[in-house]
Amino acid sequence: MTSKSRRRRIAAILRYAALTAWAVVAFFPIFWMISTSFKPDTQWFAWPPFYFPHPPTLSNYLNVWFGAEEYAATQYAISSQKPLISLMNSTIIAGTSTLLSVLFGSVLAYGVSRYRILSETRMFQLLMLRMIPPIVIVAPLSLYYSALGLLDSMTGLILIYFLTTLPYAVWMTKSFIDEVPREIEQAAEILGASRWRTIFEIVLPLIRSGLVATFLFILILTWSEYLLALIITKTQVTTLPIELSKYQGTTEGRVYGRQAALSVGITIPLIIVGLIIRRHLARGFSFGMVRR
Amino acid sequence: MQPSPRALSRRRAIRWFRWSILAPLIVLLAVVLMPVLLLQLYFSFHQWSVYLGSWSEAEYVGLDLFGEVLADPRFGWAVVRSLAFATGSTIGCFLVGFALAFLMYKPFRGQALYYTIFILPMLTVPVVVAYTAEMLLYQSGPINDLISRITGIEFKPMWLTDPNIALMTVMLLEIWNWAPFSFIILLAGLAAIPKEPIEAAEILGAPRWRIFWEVQLPLLRPVIFLALVLRFLEAMAEFPKTWALLQGGPGTATETLPVYIFLTTWQYFEISKGAVMSYIVMVMMIVIVLFAIRLLRREKRSLDTMYGQAAREAAA
Repeated sequence: MTSKSRRRRIAAILRYAALTAWAVVAFFPIFWMISTSFKPDTQWFAWPPFYFPHPPTLSNYLNVWFGAEEYAATQYAISSQKPLISLMNSTIIAGTSTLLSVLFGSVLAYGVSRYRILSETRMFQLLMLRMIPPIVIVAPLSLYYSALGLLDSMTGLILIYFLTTLPYAVWMTKSFIDEVPREIEQAAEILGASRWRTIFEIVLPLIRSGLVATFLFILILTWSEYLLALIITKTQVTTLPIELSKYQGTTEGRVYGRQAALSVGITIPLIIVGLIIRRHLARGFSFGMVRR
Repeated sequence: MQPSPRALSRRRAIRWFRWSILAPLIVLLAVVLMPVLLLQLYFSFHQWSVYLGSWSEAEYVGLDLFGEVLADPRFGWAVVRSLAFATGSTIGCFLVGFALAFLMYKPFRGQALYYTIFILPMLTVPVVVAYTAEMLLYQSGPINDLISRITGIEFKPMWLTDPNIALMTVMLLEIWNWAPFSFIILLAGLAAIPKEPIEAAEILGAPRWRIFWEVQLPLLRPVIFLALVLRFLEAMAEFPKTWALLQGGPGTATETLPVYIFLTTWQYFEISKGAVMSYIVMVMMIVIVLFAIRLLRREKRSLDTMYGQAAREAAA
């Protein structure tokens, strides 16, 4: 009996050790990013490295996000950037495309769930929109957009994000709709509600929390999208990931503190959103096939 | 017997309803996707680069460009690199994710905290991962410093500038970034496995490892396939980290398919060659995806059965 309980205790200790080891691996880069964002410029790539900022300073944030002049005058100034405008662009583009995706996706999912308007084969073909790497269409897309005048516009990005996230929206909302018992809709139909009213006033409100989860999940994807944004935006409309990638070409090279301050600002909204829907992430990434 | 007028009008109403639901998707595919695919086809058979004037007057070259691309060793190497990168990172993500999920699926003190920390890497923007990796991995950077201090041996690999290990570096980043994906899917899968078969095996006195191999693993198969297939497809498309960190360098060490297509199109401005490569990659990916979909369909069916049973038991 005692040997069994001792073995169990050793197993528990080993488990904590293994989990803690990976927790350190998972968290260290994020810690480093936050730490660097508060470091003065002499400690960005000092040897030996500074693990904690000494003393912590807000100058990186003030310079990067607000273009504060007293910091902009230093040799590491990135004065031409406009991260606050990019923040607004990112919010509008990610928000609008995600909203469209969830709105049309959930109605389509309802049609598939109740009226089988797409066969199972078609539903899987829809996944191709997501599974074929977007790199294969970016060149013709950019030429097509330039002919339409959609290059460097919010509309262009919103449209293509809408299209590429639609499979997630349809599949994920369908997994929620499938869980709603049909009796409620049948009762509504008998009482004379139209099909559209049934969707918008009965079914969608019933899966409210699922819709929110789907919205936030797709928001994660559109917020961090890089390739399409890189091609379609030029100068007028930049999203936050593109704003960050402008540091790639700076001649000084290593402006780590500034990059980190920008990175933290881009990442925080995503982490908040992700933690809100942490229970639904598995469902989202598996197109609703795995549930909890 | 003729259907009653009422049934007829109902059928017509449903048809109208179905088309109005489908219309937005069809419009979107016809207006955005179709023209793009047609343009790509056009460029695959017409030699055009931005230096050659208006693209509508490009010269027809038939299949010449396909021959050129297929004979290009750089393209062949990019295919090999992409497949190696996707395979390696998929296996890595799976091993880490599976180990974590297996250690975590029974409740214990601190579970929620670990779960939160473990999903953080997945919630960082890929470009941010690339730039943070650069801060961490330069030769006298914190990672080498930390490993040297812990092990007491001087550890100074050139993660980003040594062509022999650069691709592995990106692969490790991909694993860091996406192991949480495998983890959450496998954890959800383990949690959903019905308890009765395991309990029955325990009562019959089966040893722990046999329960794992013969009861839990087979029940987990659909989720394992899902984790592998979806991760592989995403890894084939990986672009932001590879590009923002190394742009295919040093040399061509990290030049995966997306990076090579990007370079050809946007740095060498050989639009037609890029289109042909895109076309070949698209066909290749469609074949892979169709195969993946066959797997997914089968596994989805067993998952649905499992959740259906769980729901019925909960209702009873």
